[in-house]
Amino acid sequence: MDLVEQRRAAVPVARAVPAPAAAVPARGAVRPDLEVVFRRDYRLVVGVAARVLGSRDGAEDVAQEVFLSFGRCSVPASEARGWLSVAAAHTALNALRSGRRRADREEAVAAAGETVVDDVAEVVVTREERDRVRTALAHLPRKQATALVLRHSGLSYAEVAAALGLSPGSVGTTVRRAESALREEMVRHESSD
Amino acid sequence: MSHPTEGLLRRLLDEPAGVPDADRRHVLNCPQCLDGLATARQDAALVGAALTTCSAGEPDVDAAWQRLSATRATASIPRRATAPERSGRLAALVRRPAAAALAVAVVLTGASTAAANDWLPAFRTERVAPVSFTTADLVSLPDLSAYGELVVTGEPDVRQVPDAATAEELTGLDLPEVAELPSGVVGEPVLQVGTELSATFTFSTERAARAAAEAGEELPTPPPGLDGSAVRLDAGPGAAQVWQSASGAPALVVGRAVAPTAFSAGLPFEQVRDYLLTLPGLPEGVAEQLRTFAADGSTLPLPVPADEVTTSSTQVGGVPATLLVSRDRALSAVVWVQEGVLTVVAGSLGDDEVLAVARGLR
Repeated sequence: MDLVEQRRAAVPVARAVPAPAAAVPARGAVRPDLEVVFRRDYRLVVGVAARVLGSRDGAEDVAQEVFLSFGRCSVPASEARGWLSVAAAHTALNALRSGRRRADREEAVAAAGETVVDDVAEVVVTREERDRVRTALAHLPRKQATALVLRHSGLSYAEVAAALGLSPGSVGTTVRRAESALREEMVRHESSD
Repeated sequence: MSHPTEGLLRRLLDEPAGVPDADRRHVLNCPQCLDGLATARQDAALVGAALTTCSAGEPDVDAAWQRLSATRATASIPRRATAPERSGRLAALVRRPAAAALAVAVVLTGASTAAANDWLPAFRTERVAPVSFTTADLVSLPDLSAYGELVVTGEPDVRQVPDAATAEELTGLDLPEVAELPSGVVGEPVLQVGTELSATFTFSTERAARAAAEAGEELPTPPPGLDGSAVRLDAGPGAAQVWQSASGAPALVVGRAVAPTAFSAGLPFEQVRDYLLTLPGLPEGVAEQLRTFAADGSTLPLPVPADEVTTSSTQVGGVPATLLVSRDRALSAVVWVQEGVLTVVAGSLGDDEVLAVARGLR
């Protein structure tokens, strides 16, 4: 087919493009610090995604996606923790919103009315409540949901502020609003049960 | 003194050292604030417990690193739970073009303001999420492999360039100049260019009949001359100017690109497209992608999910434009196509701000 052949010939295979800036990995290249950052922050990224998805396997899939993207970007390693956490939260929230949660083994195991006990506060949460919280999480304003998940994943207020472009003073308010909204959601169902 | 805010009470639970002494003293002596603190503590504990997972033990970092290395070695994208079965089978052919198309699409749509070398759908902040969430799924080349031969030409090549002159030279496009930056956006933009990509699809009656049979239906009679007829879909080149905010998140993106277009060597493209849209078994996602391609590049290649983004019509310089605003109002974008060139202004800005930038472009 003429058109096809012309097209192939017309597409330059290697264009004379100036070398990219030092901080940006060339196309196809991977940043040299990827493994160091991966080993340092993988658990954090999985933890963030798992809080959103409620599933370790799903969270590990998200972490793979996030680190592949990180490998191609130019974010400095010193800012990686925040970047990775936000990317993990967003990728997981997207999956949650589009109903891509996996029905995996953990969920199957947990399905029989299992409860989770928080050691410190001795809070008992049923499986059903956890599902409701995640449904509500998917519908929170994105910034609230992300700030909440990052905070509960152990990022400091300063780290959450930097990662989300918030002022440090507003992190508490954002997290508090998110918690309040989620708790209302849980209470609303309790009272209607 | 006035009561500390809810936010301060919340921080008192986690980082008391971050709360001013005067506020801490106030809380200790104020029954109302102590009540507020107790409620905040209960809510935090409840939500914290609800967000935990049942998994025991730590993730295996070594195994995860091996998995990442293997994925990178094959240059493929991790399988997504919603990927249609056909995509799985055609990984070698389709996933790579999808990633490639996305790379250009980042520049093309601009709305996904992740630095253009972030091809995968993981983004920096929520500011880009509402739209970028969709680009991964929507602005990739349609998987038509069940109905013929799909050949992708051109390599994904999105990179940073030092100045506007280089970007213009590489893309052949005039880069729009922003007359006045919105408040809060400062500094010099980073310039990214993406080279052209194209895919050629050659229809095969035999393959289409097979696909129809798999779907349990008969192939509708193809228009005469369709068998062996080729359609080419082109995207790019494009260039984007990206201003970053202090947090590193893109604050404003002004992008310009050659609008995606389709050409055909035989039948008119619309006829091929409309016929393909009638085929049994055509996945809805593929159909949606196909519908976004027009022969003259006049169709905006940006289908957006109504649950994430609201769209409305407006005008920029007398040309019809589409205004997109994320439902949380964190991101706005305005996109228009004029004489086959697509321009987008997007950012973590209000709709009035992106419109002001768009209308002031020189």
